[in-house]
Amino acid sequence: MKLDPSVLARIQFAFTVSFHIMFPTMSIGLASFLAVMEALWLKTKNPLYLQIYKFWLSIFAMGFGIGVVTGIVLSFEFGLGFAHFAEIAGPAIGPMIALEVLTAFFLEAGFLGIMLFGLHRVGPKLHFFATCMVAIGTLLSASWILSANSWMQTPAGIAIHDGRLSVVNWLHVIVNPSWPYRLPHMLTAAYLTASFMVAGVGAWYLLRRKHLDFARRSVALGTAFATVLIAGQVFLGDILYGTMIKFQPSKMQAAEGFWEKESQSPAPYYWFIIPDQKNQQNRFALGMPYLGSIWLTHSLDGRVAGLKNTPRDRQPIMGMVFYAFRTMYGLAIVMFIMGVASLWLRFQGRLFTSRWFLWLLVFMTPSGIIATLAGWYLAETGRQPWVIFGILRTADAVSPVPAQALLSTLIAFVCVYSVFLGAFLIFTVRIIRRGPAEAASYAEASASLKNAFRPHVLDHVTRAVDGEPALRS
Amino acid sequence: MDLPLFSACFMAFALTLYIFLDGFDLGVGILLLFQSDPASRDHMVDSITPTWDGNETWIIMAGITLFAAFPIAYSILLPALYLPIILMLLALGFRGVSFEFRVQTTRHRRKWDVAFAIGSLVAAFMQGLIAGCLIQGIKVLDLRFNGSVLDVLHPLPVISGITLAVGYTVLGGGWLRLKSNLLLQEFARRSLRVSAPVFAVLFGVACLYAAQIQPGVRSQWALHPIALSCLLGLFAIAAGALAVLAERVRAAILLILGLFLFVVGISGLAWIVFPNIVPFSVSLWDAASSSTSQEFVLMGAIIVTPVVLGYSAFAYWIFRGRTPEKGWEG
Repeated sequence: MKLDPSVLARIQFAFTVSFHIMFPTMSIGLASFLAVMEALWLKTKNPLYLQIYKFWLSIFAMGFGIGVVTGIVLSFEFGLGFAHFAEIAGPAIGPMIALEVLTAFFLEAGFLGIMLFGLHRVGPKLHFFATCMVAIGTLLSASWILSANSWMQTPAGIAIHDGRLSVVNWLHVIVNPSWPYRLPHMLTAAYLTASFMVAGVGAWYLLRRKHLDFARRSVALGTAFATVLIAGQVFLGDILYGTMIKFQPSKMQAAEGFWEKESQSPAPYYWFIIPDQKNQQNRFALGMPYLGSIWLTHSLDGRVAGLKNTPRDRQPIMGMVFYAFRTMYGLAIVMFIMGVASLWLRFQGRLFTSRWFLWLLVFMTPSGIIATLAGWYLAETGRQPWVIFGILRTADAVSPVPAQALLSTLIAFVCVYSVFLGAFLIFTVRIIRRGPAEAASYAEASASLKNAFRPHVLDHVTRAVDGEPALRS
Repeated sequence: MDLPLFSACFMAFALTLYIFLDGFDLGVGILLLFQSDPASRDHMVDSITPTWDGNETWIIMAGITLFAAFPIAYSILLPALYLPIILMLLALGFRGVSFEFRVQTTRHRRKWDVAFAIGSLVAAFMQGLIAGCLIQGIKVLDLRFNGSVLDVLHPLPVISGITLAVGYTVLGGGWLRLKSNLLLQEFARRSLRVSAPVFAVLFGVACLYAAQIQPGVRSQWALHPIALSCLLGLFAIAAGALAVLAERVRAAILLILGLFLFVVGISGLAWIVFPNIVPFSVSLWDAASSSTSQEFVLMGAIIVTPVVLGYSAFAYWIFRGRTPEKGWEG
């Protein structure tokens, strides 16, 4: 088999970016969750919130670290694998990512140290400020990167002369047509991810009858956040769906699994298809009758547009787009049902005792990450064969790097990232097994900025407490 | 206004800060290889833990400025430097995750320390290799990379890779003199006594060899013989001072001397490459993106960079003084 550099470059980018996005999704969600927990601790002085904070902080720190080091790879990979894309899109995408680095990465990095190691040194209030800065950094980062990616989906604000792209209107580039809908969709996905992680761990402890206070509060908070968020997400997803039909009809045609220009009436809602791209038809399709018409056209007999509306050389591969969408949508439905169930159980006072529900929560712990990944697969595979929709084809964007080099680095990435993921999972499971430590209440809880100016004094205090001689020059 | 020149200055600024800041982080990482006492290794890592992430961010800043302001250079250089960049990124990855993972385990901490040290060493070596490749020159045809990804495997890049790795250990030694406890002071002193002269000799060898194989370097040397010789002389004096004074002067002065070595080295490199951005073939202005993009990046940089420097300095200041024996969390 002859190796095709454009296929290998795509696999490499897909692998590294998929691996990366799992961790920011967690970090965005957990950073805001941690900020809320610390705020609750400062407000109520209840050590339980500090305990929750400290427990999730260690998992957050590991995830954030992996997110950082796998993210650096991406900022170089635009050029490593897709040099021609970098050359064309650099004037539009580059400045947005430069602003992401300036406004978000530095903010996160600058305050992360204080957030992780500074509580003793700066006191709780300034520490809370650091947590908030890290959380805001994750939001700004998401905002810029969604701007950049949305511009690739729905490019605007540019002119092209002699094969060189220049920006005419920055506002149109940054606030491009799909960004206002895709950003809240992604942020809500990240918050859902954190909510289900928190609820899942709490449910596991309840099932094990361990750390009961911590567990109850986690399940209560996690399911409450998740219920509100999934209701919003269904709404946001629906608006985004409408936007993408308008701007990228080929993506949504592929996502629904119909080939003919107009489907039969009433249209079913497919859950399982075996598409045959070559003959432009489904070999097999299984769906719920009427539901396609009702959901997609909001009528009983509406017809749904199929992929044949798009010329063959501009079609994405239906199987990938369809199953990515079904995975995301299917998980969203399960999340919605669980949100409703949690409300019902809460009113009945059985939220912490219904074992079937707790088990479901445990299984749903990684659901947010899987749904987010599937959503990105829908967005990215559905945009194909374009890398910048309607402007540059993916196949024309690749670097002049030989297939052998791409293959060997791909193998290296897979090996190294497996080590990262393996270690992350092992250590996370270990942290969960060990359980939350008893949170001490801090003597310096009253002080704020003052301690930041006198860390040496604090060193002496902590040392004296530890019974160590204060060794200081 | 000459926007590409300003963008290039901002990029050089980001890259210089990266070399300064991550330089001593990577140097401390490399020195882990020579430290057999686990408690001392903990202490060494603790000294850089709260601020490493911000330090590393400057390389992203430099890379993305290249992408935004000089997309043509970015699209030539990254495929040309494909292998060393990917190896550097993987090595930086190992270094970065080791910060988090090593504290999660006591039984396997040694293994993560090895990953930390090897990651630091490989990243430093690859960065030097990249600098060597740039001096060696990149093959370009019609504004596309036209060489082989294996062009990096030549003597000059390898020499400069080793040189930079040793140079970073000089910074790492200076940092440890400044931040570490009494037990590690002697270790830091010994490392400086060895690394500073070795760095100076290797740097000299790299310069001479570069002048021999690259006509671009020779012509710059012929044009500015006095200035470039002065730089080389300054470098030798600073390195000598560093090795001799390792015992006597205050730690901060040692670190400043180390950083001065790098200022001289970077200025020499910039002098030789300027006004090209892809060495000896594509100039800043030929590789620049449209002025609207330059303006956007520069406006952002001018407004935000002072704020970034402000809170980064604040973070350093919070964790000032010598690293506590039991780590920052106490």
